[in-house]
Amino acid sequence: MPPKACSPACANVSPVRPDAMDFLITTLLNALTLISILMLVGLGLAISFGLMNVTNLAHGEFVTVGAFAVYFVQSVGGSFWLGLAAAPVAGAVVGCILEFAIIRHLYSRPVSTVLATWGVSLILQQGLELIFGLGAKPVTPPIEGTLDLFFTVYPAYRLILIGIAMLTLLGVILLISRTPFGLDIRTVIQNREMAEGVGINTRRTYAIAFTFGAAIAGLAGGLVAPLAIVLPQMGVNYLANAFFVVIVGGVGSIGGLVAGSVFVGGLTSILNYQISPSLAQAIVLLAAIVAVRLRPNGLFNGASR
Amino acid sequence: MIARDRNWLMIFAVCVALAIIYPFFAGGYQLTVIRDALIFGLFAASLDFFWGRTGILCFGHAAFFGIGGYIMALVTLNDAIPFGSLLGIIGAVAGAAFVAAIIGYFLFFGGIRGSYFTIVTLAMGVICQQAAVSWSSVTGGDSGLIGIPPIEFDLGGLHVDLSQDLPSYIFVSAIVAVTVLALWSISRGRWGTVLTAIQDNEVRAAALGHNAPLRLLVTFVLSAAIAGLAGALYVCMAGLVAPDLSGLLLSTEVIVWVAVGGRGTLLGPVLGAIFIQRAQQTISSFNPSLWPLLLGCVFVIIVFVLPDGILSIYARLKGLFKGGRRAQ
Repeated sequence: MPPKACSPACANVSPVRPDAMDFLITTLLNALTLISILMLVGLGLAISFGLMNVTNLAHGEFVTVGAFAVYFVQSVGGSFWLGLAAAPVAGAVVGCILEFAIIRHLYSRPVSTVLATWGVSLILQQGLELIFGLGAKPVTPPIEGTLDLFFTVYPAYRLILIGIAMLTLLGVILLISRTPFGLDIRTVIQNREMAEGVGINTRRTYAIAFTFGAAIAGLAGGLVAPLAIVLPQMGVNYLANAFFVVIVGGVGSIGGLVAGSVFVGGLTSILNYQISPSLAQAIVLLAAIVAVRLRPNGLFNGASR
Repeated sequence: MIARDRNWLMIFAVCVALAIIYPFFAGGYQLTVIRDALIFGLFAASLDFFWGRTGILCFGHAAFFGIGGYIMALVTLNDAIPFGSLLGIIGAVAGAAFVAAIIGYFLFFGGIRGSYFTIVTLAMGVICQQAAVSWSSVTGGDSGLIGIPPIEFDLGGLHVDLSQDLPSYIFVSAIVAVTVLALWSISRGRWGTVLTAIQDNEVRAAALGHNAPLRLLVTFVLSAAIAGLAGALYVCMAGLVAPDLSGLLLSTEVIVWVAVGGRGTLLGPVLGAIFIQRAQQTISSFNPSLWPLLLGCVFVIIVFVLPDGILSIYARLKGLFKGGRRAQ
């Protein structure tokens, strides 16, 4: 059955000291945690949905697979960090198989891609449930306790999460802007036929880019595992939110991805203080729909496409 | 009358005839099984009316089914409201149509089509189910609302009481038959032709003077209204309403019914709904968690093997046969 957990990524941390500065910083850090997760999940989606025009409804399952990888490694006695290293590998393996078996055959049939990837998503969810059994899986964070940030105290693990997410984003920016492979990707995105004309293997580029996006989503799943409720059905919440990140932010740029994540993650996180998580979700959805109506090409991009 | 229309009407007539003679052979329980399957068939037809004609996939159609169901339940369970059944149905249809109108306005006039639309409606379904779970003071939370009375009303001296199996079967069959026939005549007429034109090339259709967003919006609202009607009928027959009725799994299943039955045929989805539900009941009796797994496999198989639904097997065999003759 679909998940009962409402929050897209993780619950907010309450401020400890009753002063305005503390409240402000805690709110900011809570929002930043959610934004970091959404950015990582959205990155893979921006590649497949935004750039390759593939609607992959199994993207949420990459997050689930990453979280389960951490759970599995911990349950056989490995450390969290080992699990976190396994998470992107697990995501990449699933993504690579999905690309080879299904997506590459359906580039010209968008609705078929939607149906087939949704089928894969159901198979993966049910498969995980058959393997690991019903119920939420416990994942313990590597570091308990909090860090004193002068204005407030904040859970140390969340700060690490934000740091890893930012480093990953930086790495991706460098990869796309500085490496030969990044150049290939940018060429294929701009004009597929022309890229083939100058000798780039576009199929291979697509496959690698897709697998890469799946790996990042798996990493996001591994990072969020100690904070979230780890269930086979956890993916759909990330799926919906990540799609909003990409749609609101506009496709085709890292800036759009950041803008979309800040919009969706920030709004969700702040609304969660005031109202119930599902009502907050509904309001974010409505805000996203209105934002798309007003700025069809995304918050970040210009008025015309 | 062209051959395609004649064929459709013939199949329709056969289905209606089967529906009429079925009560003579079936007992009360079997009647209720088919009746409930027919309600889901109506729901499938409502999705097909939109998806089949516009080519835009709505991934949260169960939201409208659930909205209709909850409104019906709340109205009939409230003793202060007179004519509960009639007002409930009207409210359910109007409520689903209203939500569809708001969402559809922003999406269609915002230029949202294709995959974007699919994703926004997917999120809409997720949120509707979450709202049904968490707004427990009104919706009853996880366990939903129980004790919804059967439909009963007086209309022009005619007393309709659907607490028995046979009357409720006849009532539901009649509504499904009339609605499917009405949807078919809309979609084969001028309205459907323009929708096909919009699907093929929206810019050209707009250049010919058709208001494409408005057409899509009205089609979507009509489709949602019928889904709301199906939801209202279902909760009265089942006697309860639960968050699953607006959930993602039902949204997914209705897509399978339409895809298996044949998109754009209106009748195929109804038959698809009936047959797949029979299969689901059989399979679930072995192992309940097997069904979603099989459902996932069905999605993949449909896409790669049968993109035009089960009815296309017949056409393919015919094509094979003809091809064989030509080769002689």
